[in-house]
Amino acid sequence: MATLKLQDIQGIIVRGYSNLDAACFVLLRIRDAAATRQWLSTLSDQIQNSQDRPAETCINIAFTFEGLKALGLDQQTLDTFPTEFKEGMTAPYKSRFLGDQGDNAPNLWDWGGTDSAPVHILLMLYAMDEVRLTTMYEALAGAFATGGIEQIRKLETFTLKDERGASREHFGFRDAIGQPIIEGLSRVGSPDNTIKAGEFILGYPNEYGLFTETPTVSAQHDRHNLLPNGQNGSREHDLGRNGSYLVFRQLSQKVQEFWRFLDGVTQKTDGASDSEARLKLAAKMVGRWPDGTPLVEAPDQDNSDMEDQNEFAYHHSDPYGFKCPFGAHIRRSNPRDSLDPQPGTQRSIAVNKTHRLLRRGRSYGKPVSPSLNPQEMLNTEASGERGLHFICISANISRQFEFVQQAWVNNPKFNGLYSDADPLIGDRGRNEEVSFDRFTVQATPVRQCVNGLPSFVQVRGGAYFFLPGINAIRFLASFS
Amino acid sequence: MTHQVPLTIIAKIKPDRMDNLKQLLGKMNEDAESNNIIPFVKFSQVHFARFVILEESRDLDNKVIQPSIVFSSEIDAPLEGYFNDLVDVTGEGLDQIYSHCEGYPTPGERTRQSRLAYLHAHQVEIQAFYVNTVGRTVQQIHQEAKLRDQIEDFLDRQQAKQDLSSWDGMSVRQAVREFVKGERSLNWALTPAIPSFGWLVGETIHFISGLLIILIGLLVFLPFSPIYAAILRYKEERDAQQDRVRLSSRERGELAIREDHVVQNQFSAVGLIKPGWFRLTTVRVLLWLVNFTSRHIFNNGNLAGVPALNLDGVDTIHFARWIIIDEGRRVLFMSNYDGSLESYMNDFINKVAWGLNAVFSNGVGYPKTRWLILDGAKDEQAFKAFLHRHQIVTQVWYTAYPQLTAVNLANNAQIRAGLSKTLNQQETEAWLRRL
Repeated sequence: MATLKLQDIQGIIVRGYSNLDAACFVLLRIRDAAATRQWLSTLSDQIQNSQDRPAETCINIAFTFEGLKALGLDQQTLDTFPTEFKEGMTAPYKSRFLGDQGDNAPNLWDWGGTDSAPVHILLMLYAMDEVRLTTMYEALAGAFATGGIEQIRKLETFTLKDERGASREHFGFRDAIGQPIIEGLSRVGSPDNTIKAGEFILGYPNEYGLFTETPTVSAQHDRHNLLPNGQNGSREHDLGRNGSYLVFRQLSQKVQEFWRFLDGVTQKTDGASDSEARLKLAAKMVGRWPDGTPLVEAPDQDNSDMEDQNEFAYHHSDPYGFKCPFGAHIRRSNPRDSLDPQPGTQRSIAVNKTHRLLRRGRSYGKPVSPSLNPQEMLNTEASGERGLHFICISANISRQFEFVQQAWVNNPKFNGLYSDADPLIGDRGRNEEVSFDRFTVQATPVRQCVNGLPSFVQVRGGAYFFLPGINAIRFLASFS
Repeated sequence: MTHQVPLTIIAKIKPDRMDNLKQLLGKMNEDAESNNIIPFVKFSQVHFARFVILEESRDLDNKVIQPSIVFSSEIDAPLEGYFNDLVDVTGEGLDQIYSHCEGYPTPGERTRQSRLAYLHAHQVEIQAFYVNTVGRTVQQIHQEAKLRDQIEDFLDRQQAKQDLSSWDGMSVRQAVREFVKGERSLNWALTPAIPSFGWLVGETIHFISGLLIILIGLLVFLPFSPIYAAILRYKEERDAQQDRVRLSSRERGELAIREDHVVQNQFSAVGLIKPGWFRLTTVRVLLWLVNFTSRHIFNNGNLAGVPALNLDGVDTIHFARWIIIDEGRRVLFMSNYDGSLESYMNDFINKVAWGLNAVFSNGVGYPKTRWLILDGAKDEQAFKAFLHRHQIVTQVWYTAYPQLTAVNLANNAQIRAGLSKTLNQQETEAWLRRL
């Protein structure tokens, strides 16, 4: 097992900073490359690494491909980045499989889209409270002008917690339970959920036992020798070492539409709401009860002993989807042992391990109702926008994020289904003359289906970022 | 029962006509179903069809390989009927395309006979053909899809009227059967699709004679196998490990626009065979075996899956073919598959790497193998780079059932099959789970 160089790995890879409730994401555009490099040089000492858990505040930083270009990185180095990162999130053929069509089309996005200002740098700021966050932000923002950068947008966050202090998302469900565990860190867990560091951090073996291709710099360009030599005896210097890629998508959640739709399809024959059936259908769509209890363990009702249970598999306990439907959000975004080859065995799990995502997102916007109770969410007059700043980290964007989005989440044919995209976040595909708006609940004696699912989320922005190691940030700052 | 056959026509493109031809094909592809050149939807026997341009290229001796156009179709037999339909229905469309090619009859000479003769003269034999499920016709696929849709609608309507959850499985199936019986247009579904006796006999004879050939071949080969193995290992070590071509160097604009559709996709690739008779003979023998096993063993939806040997299969490929072209210098591979290119490649790596290695490691630039089947595709990114580097643009692509995966097709067929069978309690439950 490789020893992780924690002092060179940005902290956001190893931690979600759950002790730091306040956070904001600042999107920047480079106007003057030389000034920005100077600014970055100063900032690089403040970038949080993975060694220690920050107590009060911290900063992490990432760059789009356009950002690396704007920073003045040479073409030869730029060429070594992987195609999917260079193409970005908004290439037209990508929109098709990422589900960014219709209302989600990149020309309608608030940021990162085809009609909005280019995003070059992402600053992620975290603090234990809003006061410290504001102070930190203002100190940083004061240096933007001299640093030759312009702020495109500042994305606020809102930490939603239930009465037990556990993190929830706006539909009302526990979030961030099913995270993979990175091999080599102090935290240990079940082997089936422990993933090779190379899946999330460049420079370590991945699940195939190989090094994921990494961007490199020719030795003469790395004049201060800030970067290590490449893998496999390469003479190039490794710009990717201890870095990764970060996928950011701002997903606006239509919370009331979600509960209204569920309310409508579960009403009793006399038109009265059936709160029990409504909650159950919502849980079937998610694959967990709102408190986090997995359906595959507790199909009939939640169970507070299991609310952060993550050690379960599907095939042996629920081969036909009677407990947790095949199309449920968590069963399709991490199918565990349920897919070919050989469901229920290590062969299946081994393939699953090559498609895992480390999620680091945060919610934004005020909740429809702070109680997160469905009935109260339905009764409230809500205004404003709310959603999730979805952030995930993966060393290989195409095999991890794009694959999960395309082959699992948006795939109406997932696991033998016909026209079921992900019930929560899936693309309903109305552009292709057919709709993928069905949700099948496997049951005895025969399945039940919900048809005509509307979209419950809307994409408002997004981009692919390179999340360099600390030394690589210093290199980017020193480059000229 | 009607089995499926491949059509491949390859014609050399006249030097100055490439751009025109590409434009024409581009127009066709805007509506592959109903374009006015070859409206494929009019051919009820066609599962898939495509036009692929092989650009001018050079072989290992740096000799120029002239550009050509490949027209392929996967159809329900007989092939001769398709030839006739092509010239009868779209004779002028063929003129528009093949007038860009060498040797096509001049306008004054174009008759039904001369067009037919041209197509026949340019038809090439293919070395291996994979059919997901042998014997399933286009008509059957459409019918069974309609059957499934109507049963689903029926169940939705019933469940809107009343809660069926207290019913037992037998009663639900009975209700579905009654519904199908009551729908005139679905009556055919109560009779199972059975292969004809004559066809089965023919296939059995073909299978047994093939096995005999394999057996004799093995006996002849056995004494030489140590020599073969020695040469193979020598060559595997010597074949210079190709520079890992970075994924990043890949320009995929034209390709990307045409792939990663939601349900089905196409893949076309061409590559040079390593020099010398050793590799050419190896690839010929292996493709013969691929063809034979595809026809007799992997003929029911699971390519290369052998549970008894613990070999995983792939159930997302509708059709695939391998053709040795240019007098044994190159191999052309074309397939129709479900899902994304990324998942298609991952399936190769995770499930059938050995099979891919055996055939493709005879191609120039393939990631290094050992003993023909080991390593190779297991080098994930190098393998993906190899495929990307050899992938070529499919100019026109037609599919007769774009919204159905091979898994859907198999499920639909089983829904139909289960209607007419006598099923016990357990089988009934299994059948209902298909809905």
